[in-house]
Amino acid sequence: MSSDAVGGASASVQAPARPASARLSLALQRHRRGVLGTASVAAFLVAWQVVGSRDATTADLISYPTQVVATGAQMTASGELGRNALVSLQEFVYGFVPAVVLGIALGLAMGRFRRVRYLLDPLVMAFYTAPRIALIPLLVIWFGVGMESKVAVVFLGAIFPVMVNTLAGVEQIDPLWVRAVRSFGAGEWQVVTKVVLPGAVPAVMAGVRLGLGRAIIGVIVGEMYVAVAGVGRLVQVYSGAGRAAELVVLVVIIAAFGFACITGLRLLEERIAPWRRELEV
Amino acid sequence: MEQLVLDDVRLTYRRPLDETEFLALEGVSLAVEQGEFVAIVGPSGCGKSTLLLLINGLLRPSSGRILLNGRPVSSPGPDRALVFQEFALLPWRTVLHNVELGLEVTGQSAAARRAIARDNLRLVGLSAFERYYPHQLSGGMRQRVGIARALAVGPEVLLMDEPFGALDAQTRQIMGAELLRIWERDRKTILFVTHDIDESIYLADRVVVMSANPGRVLEVMPITLPRPRDFEARNSPEFVEYRRRIWERLEQEVRKSLAWQFSEAASE
Repeated sequence: MSSDAVGGASASVQAPARPASARLSLALQRHRRGVLGTASVAAFLVAWQVVGSRDATTADLISYPTQVVATGAQMTASGELGRNALVSLQEFVYGFVPAVVLGIALGLAMGRFRRVRYLLDPLVMAFYTAPRIALIPLLVIWFGVGMESKVAVVFLGAIFPVMVNTLAGVEQIDPLWVRAVRSFGAGEWQVVTKVVLPGAVPAVMAGVRLGLGRAIIGVIVGEMYVAVAGVGRLVQVYSGAGRAAELVVLVVIIAAFGFACITGLRLLEERIAPWRRELEV
Repeated sequence: MEQLVLDDVRLTYRRPLDETEFLALEGVSLAVEQGEFVAIVGPSGCGKSTLLLLINGLLRPSSGRILLNGRPVSSPGPDRALVFQEFALLPWRTVLHNVELGLEVTGQSAAARRAIARDNLRLVGLSAFERYYPHQLSGGMRQRVGIARALAVGPEVLLMDEPFGALDAQTRQIMGAELLRIWERDRKTILFVTHDIDESIYLADRVVVMSANPGRVLEVMPITLPRPRDFEARNSPEFVEYRRRIWERLEQEVRKSLAWQFSEAASE
């Protein structure tokens, strides 16, 4: 369909020319997913704007998009948002990065060495299934109301899913792959670097994704419980004051951060495990 | 000269299920000449695949000796390479990187690896597919990669464990002819385990017939069909006679093996 014909002015040999309206409907059909998705979001925003800005009471209660944007700009300009977001980001990074590194290392050790596994299994399973929210008050008693307690919440929330999934990934390694490298004379270290690690990548990434969600929840809930600063602390403050617009701004920021992290992880996975993308197509 | 010698090899192992001692191989003796193509046939469970793992060095015999060029085999090494029935390619590696695997283990430089891997891919006719992943290839192509990977380390003995067992009948014929073409080039010693009698006659200089429970060598049958052998060779009177004689030897073994498997299944 590379014909330049406008409307029905000239007829191509291969396919009869279509009127413009027909071509439009064809294009709509082809991009149906994008078109419908955009339409639903746009409809939601318009409805929210119309209903929310109807009078002062509803504006206070549910706010509306343009007000949210204005509030966001104002919170950014005053430095309030930046200052608190930085605190939350630090808590997230200091807790999440060591959790991932240590979680992968311990998961690998548990998968390769039976003794390590027997040693850690009960503890890991207890922590993995325990409601971590209930630990927050305890962590505050131990680490205080500052950043440290939130770092601990993030760390404990993220490390166990990473560990458990890494372990599962190691266990799913096909023994035949191991036999293949061993048949060339590979030792234990080469078995790990050439088979176990690359073979476990998809499961490890699933664990990191799970841990990421728990880490973000950990930062926010931890700060909402008690904190001096942070996005969760702002949520707590504005919730007490009944300020809908500010709360929406904060929710959008948290969601955007989560979305950015997930996208980053996906790009990373496509780089280190491109064979998976091909499998899923 | 005798390159590979199995001398009264015996293997027992403890079965994990009931902790009883299981005799897998007993009194297996065999001498293989340099450049010889030896096929091993036998009923399932006769330990013919286990025999290859012993020669590779992944398993150690309980008693008896395995000598390669007069030296005892104690661990895997680049002078012996395995080709697996299920290909055993690493799914996250491209064809080229799969072929490089053995060379990485033996510590070759990246440039040398690449060059050697490309040479071997050319040999098996897969040069155009070096960037593909295993799941994008057909079964026959995957096993070509498996063969290239084994040849890449420059082994003196190629150990092939039912390499064409997972392929369809037509592909199997073609792969057999391809393997002969590759073998005729540099005459590496090949030990080829199969359950396909026709395949063993078509390919081998000698066919080793094994029994099951325990695995023993029943007979070693020289195949004197002229080479190069083409597809028509399978219809010659000599071929038919070999097939008849091997099957005669095997039939009761297969029946015994089946009966044993039933009794095992019943006792579990």
